[in-house]
Amino acid sequence: MGRNLKFEIFRYNPLTPDIQPCMRTYRLEEHPSMTLFIALNMIRERQDASLQFDFCCRAGICGSCGMVINGRPGLACHTQTCDLPNHIALHPLPVFKLLGDLCVDTGVWFRNMGTKIESWIHTAKAFEPSVPEERMDNALANHIFELDRCIECGCCVGACGTARMREDFIGATAINRLARFHIDPRDNRSPADFYDIIGDDTGIFGCMGLLACDNVCPKNLPLQDQLGIMRRMVTIESVRGIIPAFIRNKLQGCGCKQKC
Amino acid sequence: MIASSFPAGARSRLDFWQVASGAILALFICVHLILEGSVVISPKLTDGIAWLLEATCVAQIAAPCLVLLILFHFWIAARKMPFRAGELGVFVRHSRCLREADTWLWLVQVFTAVVILAGAFFHVYTVMTDLPITVAGSAKRLHSGWMAFHAVFLPCVILHTGIGIYRLAVKFGICSKAARNRVRATIWIVMGCYLTLGTLALSRVWFLE
Ligand code: HEM
Ligand code: SF4
Ligand code: SF4
Ligand code: FES
Repeated sequence: MGRNLKFEIFRYNPLTPDIQPCMRTYRLEEHPSMTLFIALNMIRERQDASLQFDFCCRAGICGSCGMVINGRPGLACHTQTCDLPNHIALHPLPVFKLLGDLCVDTGVWFRNMGTKIESWIHTAKAFEPSVPEERMDNALANHIFELDRCIECGCCVGACGTARMREDFIGATAINRLARFHIDPRDNRSPADFYDIIGDDTGIFGCMGLLACDNVCPKNLPLQDQLGIMRRMVTIESVRGIIPAFIRNKLQGCGCKQKC
Repeated sequence: MIASSFPAGARSRLDFWQVASGAILALFICVHLILEGSVVISPKLTDGIAWLLEATCVAQIAAPCLVLLILFHFWIAARKMPFRAGELGVFVRHSRCLREADTWLWLVQVFTAVVILAGAFFHVYTVMTDLPITVAGSAKRLHSGWMAFHAVFLPCVILHTGIGIYRLAVKFGICSKAARNRVRATIWIVMGCYLTLGTLALSRVWFLE
């Protein structure tokens, strides 16, 4: 016999605005290795077919199932009920547009973010289809891949106190994405260009270093370290012309092994 | 995420000035508390240091500069404070749900900041309008009601400085994720030492014959 789990789930459908948002209770017997993905599907199949939530890969790869689990953002498919108390409260991620119950629209947010930070390689080199691809050092490729693993689940944004208070804050995932282009030798953007993108209070200077983003990221991206590297680079760039170059270079040493 | 409300092209050096002013203030506090703590060894020593700083005019020049620096630091850091309607409520509710030490630390930072802003002005004003600085003078002030003020002011200053330095190291990538727990523990220990020193100094002055 498993535990008797009590789920309290946020319910609201923006298409029926006269029905007030509420928390509805469901009970379920726990099975071995039950994840929230399994639990929510059981509730929808057997108790309430109107419950809305997103899933796709159920393996922590697609990033659709981000939600607030007992107050902390996380992936539902990655969370086993045995790691949670008997009482489980589920809310949709804040900040993003609510589509209904536990579903939010992270797609539009991430597309706007990608447009704003110009999330693509900036190079003057013309593409030569017939020439073999340029080789990249393996360690560097791994380093870039490490930052490229973001699945756009939005957990870091939902956990960020700044994003909750300031709607135009860009989020840790965006700064991590820029850090990825910063270390990519194919991207020719300079610190001055990065400064133009994130050198204000909607960007890196808005981040208050609360670090919840780093602690909740289900893919364990090194958000704290990347925020630090980018903040230092952009801050030093902001005092170009005030602080002499040799001091700025001394302060730079970001450990990313790249020319900054 | 909505479009940036910041004017494009305007260079924002606010973050630079925020750390720079914070770091200078932190340095000052660390030195100030140690010099003040010399009273534990001997009140004569403290009087000597105070005399030296006054005779060389360091105290008279530094005091107004520090008040200005605090105002400047506040003016810059205040843009992060949850002043706008509803922001504080959102943030406190968020911290409660999230149960994140670092998110709470920032709230401590904001609350202690307000206490320091008000306290620093009174503190500097009473000391500097009653020159020369002597331990006997401090003892008189403490007994005339300033003890309660210091009992609140000292922990606030130490907390704000300690957390400020930790956050500064974390925010600028000086303290990496791997080192974070160790740095945080170290900061708590250093803050504990400063608090002990401050408490000893206050009680030494309080019980001065
Ligand atoms: C005893 C004097 C003070 C010292 C040593 C000090 C030191 C610091 C340091 C080192 C930081 C971290 C900088 C950063 O996170 O970028 C900081 C942050 C901060 N300080 Fe102070 N400070 C002092 C007084 C004040 C006062 C009087 C106020 C305002 C009333 C204030 C408001 C703040 C705020 C709100 C922050 C947080 C800003 C943020 O993290 O985004 N501080 N302080
Ligand atoms: S460090 Fe904090 S403020 Fe900065 S992005 Fe992460 S959660 Fe938000
Ligand atoms: S950085 Fe982590 S928490 Fe944020 S969207 Fe990417 S995978 Fe999710
Ligand atoms: S369902 Fe794809 S990450 Fe959870």
